[in-house]
Amino acid sequence: MAASPDLLFGLRNSFYLGAYQAAISSSDIPNLTANDALERDVIVQRSYIGIGSYKLVINEIDSSAPTALQAVKLLALYLSGSKEAAISSIQEWLSDAALGNNPVLRLIAGIIYMHEQDYNEALKHTNAGGTMELYALNVQIFIKMHRSDYAEKQLKMMQQIDEDHTLTQLANAWLDLAVGGSKIQEAYLIFQDFSEKYQMTGMVLNGKAVCCIHMGHFDEAESLLLEALNKDAKDAETLANLVVCSLHLGKPSTRFLNQLKLLHPDHMLVKRLATAEDNFDRAVQSIA
Amino acid sequence: MQGVNCKKRGIRMLTKFETKSNRVKGLSFHSKRPWILASLHSGVIQLWDYRMGTLIDRFDEHEGPVRGVHFHKSQPLFVSGGDDYKIKVWNYKTHRCLFTLLGHLDYIRTVQFHDEHPWIVSASDDQTIRIWNWQSRTCISVLTGHNHYVMCASFHPKEELVVSASLDQTIRVWDISALRKKVAPADDLLRLGQMNTDLFGGIDAVVKYVLEGHDRGVNWASFHPSLPLIVSGADDRQVKIWRMNDTKAWEVDTLRGHMNNVSSVLFHAKQDIIVSNSEDKSIRVWDATKRTGIQTFRREHDRFWILAAHPEMNLLAAGHDSGMIVFKLERERPAFSVSGDTLYYVKDRFLHAYEFSSQKDSQVVSIRRPGSISLNQGPRTLSFSSTENAVLVCSDVDGGSYELYVIPKDVVGRGDYMQDARKGVGASAVFVARNRFAVLDKSSNQAVVKNLKNEIVKKSLLPIVTDAIYYAGTGNVLCRAEDRVVIFDLQQRLVVGELQTPSVKYVVWSSDMESVALLGKHAIIIASKKLVHRCTLQEAIRVKSGAWDEKGVFIYTTLNHIKYCLPNGDSGIIKTLDDTVYITKVSGNNIFVLDRDGKSRVISIDSTEYIFKLSLLQKRYDHVMNMIKNSQLCGQAVISYLQQKGFPEVALHFVKDEKTRFNLAIESGNIQIAVASAKEIDDKDHWYRLGVEALRQGNTSIVEYAYQRTKNFERLSFLYLITGNREKLSKMLRIAEIKNDIMGQFHNAMYLGDVHERIKILENAGQLSLAYVTAATHGLMEIAQRLSTELGENVPSLPEGKEHSLLLPPSPLICSGDWPLLRVMRGIFDNGLDTRKEAEDEEEEAANADWGEEELDIVDVDGMIQDADIVAELEDGTGNEDNEEGGWDLEDLELPADADTPKVSGNARALFVAPNPGMPVTQIWIQKSSLAGEHAAAGDFDTAMRLLTRQLGIQNFAPMKPLFMDLFVGSQTYINAFASAPAMSTAVEKNWSESASPNVRRPPALVVKFSQMDEKLKAAYRATTDGKFPEALRLFLNILYTIPLIVVDSRREVDEVKELIEIAREYVLGLKIEVKRKEIKDNSIQQQELAAYFTNCKLQKIHMRLVLTNAMTICYKGRNYATAANFARMLLESSPTEIQAKKARQVLQLCGDKKDANQLNYDYRNPFVVCGETYVPIYRGQKDASCPYCGARFVPAVEGHLCSVCELAVIGADASGLLCSPTQSR
Repeated sequence: MAASPDLLFGLRNSFYLGAYQAAISSSDIPNLTANDALERDVIVQRSYIGIGSYKLVINEIDSSAPTALQAVKLLALYLSGSKEAAISSIQEWLSDAALGNNPVLRLIAGIIYMHEQDYNEALKHTNAGGTMELYALNVQIFIKMHRSDYAEKQLKMMQQIDEDHTLTQLANAWLDLAVGGSKIQEAYLIFQDFSEKYQMTGMVLNGKAVCCIHMGHFDEAESLLLEALNKDAKDAETLANLVVCSLHLGKPSTRFLNQLKLLHPDHMLVKRLATAEDNFDRAVQSIA
Repeated sequence: MQGVNCKKRGIRMLTKFETKSNRVKGLSFHSKRPWILASLHSGVIQLWDYRMGTLIDRFDEHEGPVRGVHFHKSQPLFVSGGDDYKIKVWNYKTHRCLFTLLGHLDYIRTVQFHDEHPWIVSASDDQTIRIWNWQSRTCISVLTGHNHYVMCASFHPKEELVVSASLDQTIRVWDISALRKKVAPADDLLRLGQMNTDLFGGIDAVVKYVLEGHDRGVNWASFHPSLPLIVSGADDRQVKIWRMNDTKAWEVDTLRGHMNNVSSVLFHAKQDIIVSNSEDKSIRVWDATKRTGIQTFRREHDRFWILAAHPEMNLLAAGHDSGMIVFKLERERPAFSVSGDTLYYVKDRFLHAYEFSSQKDSQVVSIRRPGSISLNQGPRTLSFSSTENAVLVCSDVDGGSYELYVIPKDVVGRGDYMQDARKGVGASAVFVARNRFAVLDKSSNQAVVKNLKNEIVKKSLLPIVTDAIYYAGTGNVLCRAEDRVVIFDLQQRLVVGELQTPSVKYVVWSSDMESVALLGKHAIIIASKKLVHRCTLQEAIRVKSGAWDEKGVFIYTTLNHIKYCLPNGDSGIIKTLDDTVYITKVSGNNIFVLDRDGKSRVISIDSTEYIFKLSLLQKRYDHVMNMIKNSQLCGQAVISYLQQKGFPEVALHFVKDEKTRFNLAIESGNIQIAVASAKEIDDKDHWYRLGVEALRQGNTSIVEYAYQRTKNFERLSFLYLITGNREKLSKMLRIAEIKNDIMGQFHNAMYLGDVHERIKILENAGQLSLAYVTAATHGLMEIAQRLSTELGENVPSLPEGKEHSLLLPPSPLICSGDWPLLRVMRGIFDNGLDTRKEAEDEEEEAANADWGEEELDIVDVDGMIQDADIVAELEDGTGNEDNEEGGWDLEDLELPADADTPKVSGNARALFVAPNPGMPVTQIWIQKSSLAGEHAAAGDFDTAMRLLTRQLGIQNFAPMKPLFMDLFVGSQTYINAFASAPAMSTAVEKNWSESASPNVRRPPALVVKFSQMDEKLKAAYRATTDGKFPEALRLFLNILYTIPLIVVDSRREVDEVKELIEIAREYVLGLKIEVKRKEIKDNSIQQQELAAYFTNCKLQKIHMRLVLTNAMTICYKGRNYATAANFARMLLESSPTEIQAKKARQVLQLCGDKKDANQLNYDYRNPFVVCGETYVPIYRGQKDASCPYCGARFVPAVEGHLCSVCELAVIGADASGLLCSPTQSR
């Protein structure tokens, strides 16, 4: 195994780091085995989902496509709004013994249930792991559940498989961010490594910026975020973090907030804000 | 034992130079120049330059073998002695034998100059040693005593001693101190007379010691350079060490090992070792203290005869049956690595750090010394990871191994810091990422990637058979094989680039990692980061080191030069070096180097030449122009370089000589300058060449001018023809006529299409027939008739069957005028200076970004585990039973890198029980804190409000809503983690530090910070000063809204916060009074009262003065003179401005003792506060109520109302007081 070059490496990397367009445009790789070709297709379709082209994915994957791609199509369906349909299909497939073990299907299930905030259900399908992506997703789910101890275990598994894998490093950074303290700096170094090794994506810039915010380096965070904004003016996380960063810098944040509300009405920050406003009003009433 | 080991490992000698010749019997190094003399058995003496590897000279005057040869230390002399019994003294400069010293009666074995005195000592088979004065060319002493051949004799380097070895099995030490007195120059004649008596008396040189111990004839003996030691080698195959003091000498030890006669032996000048060679075809190196063999170098067929050591440098030479070798025992290159501004290098047993900017040197870590003294086991290379402050030291110990040290943070003064390094075996080890290094495992041809704990992370089979690896960017290694290098991506297992090269020794990356220089023994190859070949430089002498300067020029050293290499492969010498140095960094005109003693130095160089060439190459002509203007950069070399590189237009600016200038101008197509020069030179050839160039450019006026100047009428005519200049053509016709140039006339006439003229010319020239034909053809019958009569019978017949046509001159391309030209070059050099600013801008861009300069700490693992425990405790509160499994103490498993993803069995899923969700950070915040701001940030508005109500009696939260929202929004950051999965949010905590423990939650970082309040207060003050009262009011109120949510760290700050509340309250109250005053227009008395109350607020002096001025004016206008006068006095006391003071004095004067017109509810003598709602004074002693938050006072009637000052709290409500710091609750 050692010497055969990993042809999909670049593609995967781009995808993991959120360089979806780059992943799509560099997907034309010759001499792929059937397995690799399928993985390639999955990544490409997921990249299209990543840039929001759900319709394209839904149309492009027909019923004859392999399970993995079908699963991707379900994700596109889910994200484009047909939530119930997607969930019922995925439940049906997961219960099918022949399909249920497909790692991509399980992964997609995990993602969908994460969106549903049903972490137990998500974990039911993903906890067994099996691929780096599944482990990475587990790390994220456990972080979402505020169980960094479990996330740590998943990460250890990833590290045993390939410590230098992009996903391992990424998951490590997520966990570092979640546990905070001195680990923030390690997360920063990981993102820094990425930015040196691969292209600067919005994700990497955001990662660095978030670390800076946590370290109290708001000025640096701001410049990183503005750089990210230059790359993609509509990126939800960039805008959200800019709101946060501006607030800390005592600068006006409304423009970013309005942009975020406009472009990503479903973003966590927007939702949180809306709930918070309700909470506030309710609390005022209860006090009075 | 050590020697045997070495033999097994087959360490090769560091041979620097080798010759093939007849047997070499004598050797001598020159002390300054890279020369060595070799005297041969054939009778020839060779002079070699061992650095360049060339034979400089040969001296062939001895008959028979020459056994001894020696350079003089300072004079251009050398001495030789041979089997012809002759000692010859030579001058190598003039290549002449100066004289011959005769006296020995048998073969001469060795000859040697004395370092100071004009003496030569010689040893001969005639059993004598003789000392000669080479200035008087006489023998001054004959040392007799040996009773067999004397094989060698030499002076002591400092004392007046001679040591000799003889086949009589003894070594003798001679005292020659008497000689010096004898050669006192005064009694030259006398001395000559004494000579003979001395010859037999021998009083001037006496045997001091006779050393007996060898069982066979002794071939060699030599002094230790500084200690009273002698080493000898003999036919009994032994090397013996002898010690002497003032009175005696004795044998110290014997070194056994040689298998045949030992021919030569000496102490190493700088190291504690002895080197010997022998007829057993080996050279052996011995530890002089432990007296054990260290190393053995063998030759296949050649017996060794002679050894010589360089007087200054770390070089040795040995002569054998078929030539000689110049060699080194140990490498002298210090292992070093550059990281940002710091050079790390190994010297002695320490890792040193040298800061380039401050030139400060410090010992950082002590390095393990190899267990035994053996040669070339010292560190060879260093690799440094700046982020982790870790260094890999590679050496040849155990056939290649590395040690990993972590440099402690506080390096200053901790030079003796000892630490146990992590070790490993491998041909080379380099950092490939901040916390990963690759080790080359030659046996399996794998790169083993390890982490800082020295644990294997993965293994990767290398694409070519590799004998060394180098860093090549993050995650990449450059693999070196004999004939090529390959850059290999360890993660992707991909070959990034490949290049055929001769064996590479060192790899130097540019700071931007875009270019790499591969240094071989005699070649430098520059390539891109993907190993695309850019250029190759061949060097005649060894390449030693190099570094990239900021501008992309590669600066390198050879044995004796500092040179540069431009990106296009142009190279040149910058400076000549006296001794070899290793470049570590280039910074502008400074080159930082390490010398062989491991000392850092700075060498200043003049970079003008290569910067100039670089600028040319990069077409930055503005720079070039600048340099031409500002520096004395001239000379034929530069001009020819410019010409050769195709920059004649630049060269033009250097040249004064008109001819060169003309040539350059023509070459660069600069017609203007060429014309000017041509005028100066004014010769035919130059005009002609100008014409050719002008024609090429279509510059017809210059062509015309050039032709005119050379009087080249034919060309001129043709030029007029093609440019359609008929007028000038007819002029040419006239000229031709005047010059009587018939052919010219005819041509011109033809060009003009003037048939009449042609006929006329032909007729005048006597060509009547042609004239007739011309006329007839063109239908000029009249003339034809006339001519035919003249011709009579000779009328030629016209060709039949052809149509007549008029031969018309061709229509010109352009009617005169020059061709339009596109000018590109113009301007840059004519007004080059205007672009200077641009150039500066460009320079700024060149700022280089070194990778990985951050220095960050890593937490120690122990701390982490401890913290994990804390978290576990914390989480106990949620009643979670899975806590023991907290993955923190999991051992790191060392899995083989090629292990596949673990297979998970399907039924594992069924058994899985998802853990209970943990406690969100926000909840931890809430539990830990009783500060409203932190609760708000956590999103728990309810408790936040309850806290505020309890603490400050706040009831009205509406004004604080935006702050609550900001606090909440600002408490979380977002990161898009897994593709298409929902974003992850993480809580922002405050007071982050590098040493903060993970998993221990710190309080939230709030977006409202006390530090921002200062700014807000200033803005509010500004607005007040400017009289923008509503604005100021808004700002002060905002401060009051914000304060309840502020969290500060110290008690002192709590006091400051409280102070701030008071300031804001006073202003808000005052401003509200003022606003109110402006609303009521008709009631003068109330206006005066409110103005007066405003003065009762505690304000900044500057504001107080304004308020007082205002109150004074209003009261004065209201004719309340006494009150106005009081305000005037108060104003004067508050250090007013000139105008204010003047006004106050005027008011005072005008008021005099006048009484108030109206009674105001204002008694300045009686202290009072103003009610925040009704704006009436509450004098001391009267009942009042106050706001629990801002502390504003009110008349008791309004108790229970919302405070009209801060607009937040309820007047008179119960409250525990402001809580804004965790320190308060402790």
